[in-house]
Amino acid sequence: MQHSLEMRNIVKRFPGVLANDHANLTIHAGEIHALLGENGAGKSTLMQILYGFYVMDSGEILIDGERVHLGSPKDAIALGIGMVHQEFMLVRRFSVVENTVLGLREGGGPLLDLKRASEKLKDLSHRHGLDLDPSVEVGSLPVGVQQRVEIVKLLYRDARLLILDEPTAVLTPQEKDRLFAILRKLRENGRSVVIVTHKLKEVMELADRVTVMRDGKVVATRTIGSASEQELTQLMVGREVNLHAEKSSRPPGAPVLKVEELRVGDKTGREKVRGVSFEIRAGEILGIAGVDGNGQSELAEALLHLREIKGGRVLLNGADVTALSAAKHRRMGMCYIPADRRHLGSVTEMSVADNAILGQQRKYARGWFRDTCAARNFADGLVARFGVRRASIDSPAGKLSGGNLQKLILGREIMSGPAALIVEQPTRGLDVGAVEAVWKELLQAREQGKAILLISAELEELLNLADRIAVMFEGRIVGTFDAAGASMEEIGSMMAGGASGEIGGTALTTAMQIPEARNGETV
Amino acid sequence: MGSAFIVAWLSASLRLAGPVLLAALGETFAEQSGVLNVGIEGTILLGALASFLASYYTGMIWLALLVALLIGVAANLLLAWMYVSLRASQVVAGLVFNVLALGVASTVYRWALGNSALPESIAMFHPLHLGALSNLPLIGPVLFSQTLLFYLTIALAFVAHFVLFRTNFGLALRSSGENPATADSAGISVSRMRYAGTLISGAAAGMAGGYLVLAQVGIFRETIVSGQGFIALGIVIFGRWNPLKAAVAAIVFGACDALQLSLQIFGTHIPPQLLLALPYIVTILAISGLFGGKAVQPAALMTPYVKE
Amino acid sequence: MAKLFERRLTPLDSPLAISTTTSAAFLTAMLVTSFLFLRYGASPLQAYAALFHEPFGTLRGFGYSLVRASPLALVALGTIVSWRSGFAYLGFEGCFVIGAAATAWLALLGAPGAQPGPMPSFLFFPLAILFGFVAAGIWAALVGIVRARFGGNEVLISLMSNYVAIFILQYLVSGPMRAPGSLPETRLLPRATWLPFILPGTRAHAGILIAIAAAILAWMLLRKVTLGYELIVTGFNPFAARYAGIDVPRRLELAAFFAGGLGGLAGMVEVLGSQHRVMDGISGGMGFVGIVVALLARLNPVAVIPTALLYGGMSVGADAMQRHADIPSSITFILESLAVLLVLAFDALRYYRLNPAFWRSAPPAAAEELK
Repeated sequence: MQHSLEMRNIVKRFPGVLANDHANLTIHAGEIHALLGENGAGKSTLMQILYGFYVMDSGEILIDGERVHLGSPKDAIALGIGMVHQEFMLVRRFSVVENTVLGLREGGGPLLDLKRASEKLKDLSHRHGLDLDPSVEVGSLPVGVQQRVEIVKLLYRDARLLILDEPTAVLTPQEKDRLFAILRKLRENGRSVVIVTHKLKEVMELADRVTVMRDGKVVATRTIGSASEQELTQLMVGREVNLHAEKSSRPPGAPVLKVEELRVGDKTGREKVRGVSFEIRAGEILGIAGVDGNGQSELAEALLHLREIKGGRVLLNGADVTALSAAKHRRMGMCYIPADRRHLGSVTEMSVADNAILGQQRKYARGWFRDTCAARNFADGLVARFGVRRASIDSPAGKLSGGNLQKLILGREIMSGPAALIVEQPTRGLDVGAVEAVWKELLQAREQGKAILLISAELEELLNLADRIAVMFEGRIVGTFDAAGASMEEIGSMMAGGASGEIGGTALTTAMQIPEARNGETV
Repeated sequence: MGSAFIVAWLSASLRLAGPVLLAALGETFAEQSGVLNVGIEGTILLGALASFLASYYTGMIWLALLVALLIGVAANLLLAWMYVSLRASQVVAGLVFNVLALGVASTVYRWALGNSALPESIAMFHPLHLGALSNLPLIGPVLFSQTLLFYLTIALAFVAHFVLFRTNFGLALRSSGENPATADSAGISVSRMRYAGTLISGAAAGMAGGYLVLAQVGIFRETIVSGQGFIALGIVIFGRWNPLKAAVAAIVFGACDALQLSLQIFGTHIPPQLLLALPYIVTILAISGLFGGKAVQPAALMTPYVKE
Repeated sequence: MAKLFERRLTPLDSPLAISTTTSAAFLTAMLVTSFLFLRYGASPLQAYAALFHEPFGTLRGFGYSLVRASPLALVALGTIVSWRSGFAYLGFEGCFVIGAAATAWLALLGAPGAQPGPMPSFLFFPLAILFGFVAAGIWAALVGIVRARFGGNEVLISLMSNYVAIFILQYLVSGPMRAPGSLPETRLLPRATWLPFILPGTRAHAGILIAIAAAILAWMLLRKVTLGYELIVTGFNPFAARYAGIDVPRRLELAAFFAGGLGGLAGMVEVLGSQHRVMDGISGGMGFVGIVVALLARLNPVAVIPTALLYGGMSVGADAMQRHADIPSSITFILESLAVLLVLAFDALRYYRLNPAFWRSAPPAAAEELK
């Protein structure tokens, strides 16, 4: 690509969702272009089409004015387009150079000429400031360095356009600065970089131009100099609130769930939750806003002790449940509705009736024997009460639609009578009718005096349901608002990493340390 | 017990190690591509029969070996199809295949020979005598008086190592077993690599059957293969999926096997079964994860790959 | 270019679909095997008549079928309990011999001349069952612990452990448990330790009753007991199991124990019911054929007894067929294994169907992208 790459009127449908709705995008040579948007905006899909992973339904792609066909990643690579995915495509056991030449048939013959490849790699590495040692095993490298290996793979294939999908999600601040320096150098080289992100600050810091996507459409393209953070946030999140939930105002009751300075790591040891504290009272919904990947899943799992906790405490009605088993949590009154309804919240091969007692199987027993009668009655009651439709309780749960499965899981957890409910992305992938039904149930649970933690990437949902909203970004709570009177822009800005406390709003509190002694009010 | 014992023991160790090493070399390719081919036990049996019949009818030992190889490949086409295209459980398909192979081998053997008496001998590979080398004290009889097949197998170990670690094919094969999604995104056909791995293990296992018959036992019995295939699986793991280390592991296995034979002749109080069990126990410990063994196996071993 | 087969959105898995593919597979295997019969000049019908008549048409043959079926059924039940709990255990050959050895040891203890003296039958048999079960159960549970605590691969470890068990047995019958004489086997076990015969005119013994009882217990475990529910959830999805508060490592170890115990009972039944002594090779490969039986029974405890009877009967019939029609008995191995391989292949039909788009000239682009 010498001058520009243009994507015109790209349309892409998946079952049930229009991921790209006549999207237009132009990338110039020698620029860093940011693709900004929230979860589900369609930016990843658009880039997967550009990289040849998906085939678009209609539209065209032109490079330097000529139409090109991208049927597979091989086509894209041949045209000089390369992508670094969020999940790296690296073989951990192989060395840097082996990963780089994988799939290439260099030197003509069948032999692997690692020496020559290493030379070329070292040269590229030096020229672009990547600082890579070809012979090191990739699995032993820190994540930031692994990412540079992904970049060198693209440069080795002489990619002129590099796409990076949420590249800073896994990086420390120092690694991030390093990456940005490398990207700027690539730009000087005449290459183009597209960075897919939801982080506004980075867009302002790094990009030349930015395209904002929302609900599958491209809403605007701006040059960085001429747009303000506020404007971009507005473009990113601003939309009419379609649904409205009837929510009564209630004075919250006694504190039920208290989290103190929780620290949780992931498999590689990096901290995903960095000292989070909050408190939820009976009859209150605390929403956690934030784009996927900022530590919410880890937080939810840690609260149930499905994940190792590095530090901090979790208190349920005063009792310290931090280190107790998941089963114990349940018995003491804390339930969890996970985001992955098909692979974690249910066993799709088992019947609806069997799923209805998942987690409470000991309760529906007489001694060692299962009380199948009571279990079936319970399942019947659950299905009726929560409106799980179109399947008998003996058919496999996998046959239920997403909405019905969610109602089943929700019903199951609510009917076990917990004091606290942790709910994660409850309406993801559901149609409007199912969304309304789920909202109704959550509000009813609130009426019944349960303390609910609602983690959601859908601002609309939070504004409708939550009493208070805390924003989570990079493992920390960066701000808390009363839902009444909060604006989407403020929250959206914080979700994108915008500075807290800059924008107006009520009851703003920033960052982690909330001293107890502030009139007993905690976040 | 003096040098005579040592010589007899070491010489037997190498001799016994040969066939299982050959099978293990092929299986290394299968497992590096992500396939656990439990069916090599049955394949060795089929190869043994094929080579026996070929040698019986033609008297040409190299042809017999070739026939064994081809039979091994043909049989594993079925297995590869089940493992890769049908994505059937590899363990199930392999185990059942072993039973099928036993049935086929027994039946074909009886067809071919009917009720006639067993042949006295068939054309075989005989231990070589490499002149002055074979006459060296100690090393001579141990290292330089093995059959040609043995030297061929050792050479193949080096070839296998080279192909796996120094060629594009080897790299692509290993990536299919480590991270098929990455291999796929690099433009490698994971299916093709896994077919290749399985067929290579079939070829080697077939040849190993030929090795057993043509260089060791000299006749065919239905019980000629009793666990060598599973031992080969153990050698692959013991050798950490590396052909050269597998060679060492095979010799260790052979040494334990030979030791209990020799000890029986010389008479000791150590129960021979303990020595026989030792290599298995060591392998179990090696792969138990007690010593971090799990991290070493190809990451996607036994995981079928579904191309999205 | 559209593919010939496309994946169904949901696989057909009604009991009807499953039994249809299974029966079709078995019948196809019979069809294929019948070609082999032709080679011997026997018509397939005659050959199958010979194969099935003796074990199912004569009383004496039927008795032998029951004898052969009992250990197969027990191994199959062990396979079902472990595999459905997500524990791919293959060490039944080992459990078989361990159970056999433990039971024989107990039996010899009560032999005339040995201390403390013969014990009454009503005490001996339950004790023998307990011994055989627990000894082999512990043997298998070791592998379970390795898998649950250290993440070891139970497929390979259990395969290896078979050999260790076999060597232990070889040692025992050549040494401590050996009968006077030069053969590596124990002495004949005292008559009082033999499982009672249950069908006059045959050698059928109470082992089949033990197998039936075990099948009922296994069915109850998986369907009617909370523990079984937890095992099944663990087998389907260990992550969801953890979420549901199930102690996954403990459950795996328990599944291993039960599976091993059932394998041990198979050995016990063979020793006390059929062989009445222990020697090297007593398992006769039943530790593997039993797995094949479980597969054909689609891992369903209810189907195990008839399937084991079928395979046990076939092995009896194979011998008869060889005697009368001079057809090698090994053909039944082909039939038995081909049936299961075809089950696997036909299973694919439940997941795929013929793609109508294959024959259209312009393949619809949308079909490629169904995610």
